[in-house]
Amino acid sequence: MLARIEYALRETWASFRRNLTLTMAAVLTSAIALLLVGATFLIQRAFENLLVQWRGDVAMIVFVRSDASPEQVALIDSTLRAAPSVIDVEKLRYLDKPESYAEAQRIFAGDPVTLSLLTPETIPTQFKVVPLTEDTNLVRSLADQYRTLPGVEAVALAEDEFEVISTLSGFVRTVTLIMSLVLLAVAIGLIWNTIRTAMFARRREIEVMKLVGATNWFIRVPFMLEGLLQGLIGGVVSCLGVWALNSAWTTGVATFQPGTGISSLVVPNGYLSGVMVILLALGAIVGAIGSAIAASRFLDV
Amino acid sequence: MITLENVTKVYGADTLAVDDVSFEVAKGDFIFLVGPSGSGKSTLLRLMSREEVATEGEVWVAGRNVTDMAPSRVPFLRRSLGNIFQDYKLLLNKTVFENVAFALEVIGKPRHVIREQVPFVLDLVGLSDKHERFPNQLSGGEQQRVSIARAFVNRPLIMLADEPTGNLDPTTSEGIVALLQAINETGTTVVMATHDHRVVNMMRRRVIQIDRGVVVRDQERGVYE
Repeated sequence: MLARIEYALRETWASFRRNLTLTMAAVLTSAIALLLVGATFLIQRAFENLLVQWRGDVAMIVFVRSDASPEQVALIDSTLRAAPSVIDVEKLRYLDKPESYAEAQRIFAGDPVTLSLLTPETIPTQFKVVPLTEDTNLVRSLADQYRTLPGVEAVALAEDEFEVISTLSGFVRTVTLIMSLVLLAVAIGLIWNTIRTAMFARRREIEVMKLVGATNWFIRVPFMLEGLLQGLIGGVVSCLGVWALNSAWTTGVATFQPGTGISSLVVPNGYLSGVMVILLALGAIVGAIGSAIAASRFLDV
Repeated sequence: MITLENVTKVYGADTLAVDDVSFEVAKGDFIFLVGPSGSGKSTLLRLMSREEVATEGEVWVAGRNVTDMAPSRVPFLRRSLGNIFQDYKLLLNKTVFENVAFALEVIGKPRHVIREQVPFVLDLVGLSDKHERFPNQLSGGEQQRVSIARAFVNRPLIMLADEPTGNLDPTTSEGIVALLQAINETGTTVVMATHDHRVVNMMRRRVIQIDRGVVVRDQERGVYE
């Protein structure tokens, strides 16, 4: 068993060196494809930070002053519930101070200046409103009406803040997703071609191996390992790339004016590690698929 | 050891290579398959090592039905066979020792077996002083001896030799056949396809003559004619 493993590793490494140019091309392509996949994940997550307060069809947020009395909050609540034909009363949600503070931590993740000004005591609480109507003018006139209520600090409309970003995020997602799928397919193709070439270069050895009774799996494994390794190295390179990109971005964003919203376009480190694990796994899968196709199709030499 | 029952092999749509051939080879036999080029000798050997599958009929080798054999079992059939060829099929980037060791390595034999068996079998074929040579540094006869060593190192039950003396001068050919005879004397069945008159007439073993895919003569202690 040990002899077999040793053989497989030695052959994998030898073939890897012999085919350096093609191998580099395959590795770099998978790295770029995976980098794009990683970027897609990070961009989505960053946009989500910005959009977290609008999740669940929320179209209007009524911010309540942190020093408002319970009576004022109750009045706002009853006013909102007084328009059941326009507002989905079932989905109306009130976020108290701890909940609002928790949410703010995500929104202002990349904006420590703003975050430091907020405390669980001073933060405005909020009503999240899901309208039943599609008529934006009606929602807008309601918002104007709510602004005049005592205790209301501000009323924010999704239309103003959300729509542009949402459209942008959807567009970016589609484009990067398509590009990364195409590049992943190209990476599989290149790995396939590299392995095919490696097998062709060693066709005499393969012929002799079959002649003396080596099993197909024994012949295949070094080639499949080679493809797997190419994909995996591509994954490692893409992880470095994603990490570098993210660091540069996070540093860059920190110099923006606080409160512009751009500063919430960052991702937490835990999420980044998760993405890296996905990229490594995806790289291995890409390599395995490409080499498996090659190894099963070109064994008859 | 080998049984062919009404074996027919058709290549493509209508190229008849072997036509309703039946014969048996007993354990420990040494037989010659003779006939002109294209008569079907090589096809018969390829049917035995299952590089080809019979279109009709059955081929039994070493107690196994080769015709019905699952592809995954073929490597294990090949381990009980030793194949040698006119063009030796040696790996030019490996030394003599490595060429023979390769055959054991790729069937997963441990290193101590390789270290023990390879020198032994190279000694047997008379190449004990040429372990580190590359095939291109050897004569044709020596290359064929390496290929015989590689075929024999795993102690096969059967040796299949396809024109092993085809590229060699008469004296060298005699040496190769003598080596095959020595291997035969250890109990290994030998099937040798050839159109080398001298060798066949010298040996006086069983001769099966093939012409256009048909057995036209099967004779104990035969000559080439």
